[in-house]
Amino acid sequence: MIDENENKDLEASEPLAELSAVERKATPMDIQLPIPSAENAARAAANEEFRNEGRAFATGVAGWLLPGFGHAIQQMWGRALVVFLAVGSLVYAGASMRGNVFTSTGADAFDYLGYIADLGTGSFYFLARSIEKNGADVSHAGGDYGTRFLATAGVLNLLAALHAYEAARGRKA
Amino acid sequence: MTAASTLALSHFQAFLFFAAVISVSFGFLGRRRPKDRLKYILWSFFLFLVVGIGIAWVMYPFSR
Repeated sequence: MIDENENKDLEASEPLAELSAVERKATPMDIQLPIPSAENAARAAANEEFRNEGRAFATGVAGWLLPGFGHAIQQMWGRALVVFLAVGSLVYAGASMRGNVFTSTGADAFDYLGYIADLGTGSFYFLARSIEKNGADVSHAGGDYGTRFLATAGVLNLLAALHAYEAARGRKA
Repeated sequence: MTAASTLALSHFQAFLFFAAVISVSFGFLGRRRPKDRLKYILWSFFLFLVVGIGIAWVMYPFSR
């Protein structure tokens, strides 16, 4: 912002035009100020939207990596706590019931789908693997339920991360 | 973490646990006001029970 009084003083003082181009220093009048226009305003709005979009995306990723964190960033404490506990309890129960924690070395498409679902739990995927030291046992119903609990935890966390992303974008959530 | 022990839940316990966790999560994510959340959670949990037991009842003749 250039002070108008300052400009008037410059105009009224030494005749700057008489100085040679080499000696003359740039004055505030030489700086071409951006002219406010609809185009500039639209560009600024687009930049702001891009920044907000990036922030919202980062919030969603944070929510995926640590269940509930995407909501905690936005101070939605109730939702953050519920997501954390829901995903955590499903992962804990699923792994403790010796459900199948899928890995990237799957044998078929269903294993890969299970792997993607399990990865949805973010960092809790490694928690599940650390709990399940004896490996999966799906020969009984409990192990099969455990597999479903783990997959549900992943999908639920992805849903929560998407919810956090939408909330960060300003959508009513 | 020393939770290597196996958690043993019956079919019905696992069913109740799943229904409760998902109902509460959906209630909190889908509704804003506490009263609306509570109504949604109870209604969702009730539907989980009705549909789950209904499907189990329909499948019972083919279970053995």
